[in-house]
Amino acid sequence: MSEIPPRSRGVIALLESNCTSCMLCVRECPDWCITLESHQETVEVPGGRPRQRNVLDRFAIDFALCMYCGICVEVCPFDALFWSPAYDYAAGDIAGLTHERDQLGEWLGSLPPPEPEPGSQRPPG
Amino acid sequence: MIAGATETVAFGQRTVDVPAASWVAAATAARDERGLDCFDWLSAVDELDRFDVVLAVYSVSPLTRVRLRTRVDRDEPRLASVTGVFAGAAWHERETHEMFGIDFDGHPGPAPLLLPDGFSGHPLRKDFVLAARVAKAWPGEKEPGGVAARRRVRPPGVPEGWADE
Repeated sequence: MSEIPPRSRGVIALLESNCTSCMLCVRECPDWCITLESHQETVEVPGGRPRQRNVLDRFAIDFALCMYCGICVEVCPFDALFWSPAYDYAAGDIAGLTHERDQLGEWLGSLPPPEPEPGSQRPPG
Repeated sequence: MIAGATETVAFGQRTVDVPAASWVAAATAARDERGLDCFDWLSAVDELDRFDVVLAVYSVSPLTRVRLRTRVDRDEPRLASVTGVFAGAAWHERETHEMFGIDFDGHPGPAPLLLPDGFSGHPLRKDFVLAARVAKAWPGEKEPGGVAARRRVRPPGVPEGWADE
C-alpha cells in the first residue's frame, strides 16, 4: 500500500459517532448508492426538557454503483465520511460490494494520518 | 476565416462557435489553415432549447487544442457530416446520432454504434427517462429519524414529474 498516494479515492469510511442521520449524503449522491435508515429516540436531559435524537439503524454504500465522486464526503457537515486509499475489496458477487455500517467503520483503520495544516511548522505525525 | 465565427477562451480551452451552415468549411479550415489536423472527438450537448455539436481537434506540434461548436435546431436536428474532413469522426457521429437523434447528412453508414438492436429513444437527451431511476426508489426520500416528511423532497437533477409517470 505504500506506493499509493494517501489522498487516493479507494473506499469510503464511516465514523458512526459523527453521523446525525441528516440524509445530506444520501440526497446528494448522484448514483443513489447510499442507503440510510434511522429512527428517533427521546433522550432525558438532567434539568432540561427531553430532546429528540436520531439513531442510525442502517448505513450502507453500494460500491458497485458508487462512481467515487466524493460528493458525500464533501457534503457531510459533521465529518462522518472519509476517503481511504484502501482498494482491495473485490467481491465474488455483486451483493458483496454493498458495505454495511460495520464494514464501513472498519475502513477507518485504513485512513492515512491527517495532513498538516498549510503553513504548519510541525512535521506530520 | 469563417464568416460569423466567434472565438472564446474559457478555463484554458479555446472554443470557436461557427454557424451550422459553415460546419464542414470550419472543420476544413481548422485542419488545413490552422494545422489542427488531429481529430480528438465529436459529441453533442442537450441545451434544452437546442443541441450544441462540439468537435475537438488539435495539432501535435506545437500542442494546440481547439473546439469547434455549432448550434443545431432541436425540432429538426441535422448537420453536415465532417467524415469527409476527419475520417475518424464516423464512429463519433454514429454515437451522437443514436444518443441525441441528430442526423449527419453525408455520413457513409449511420447505423447505431453502441445501443442494442431495437432500442428506441435517444438516451443522452435530457428528456429521456432512465429506467434505473424509475425502477428504484430514491433513497433520499426517507427523512432523518424516519419522521413523516413535511414536504416532498425531490432528487437533485431529476426533472419535476419525471419519475411519477
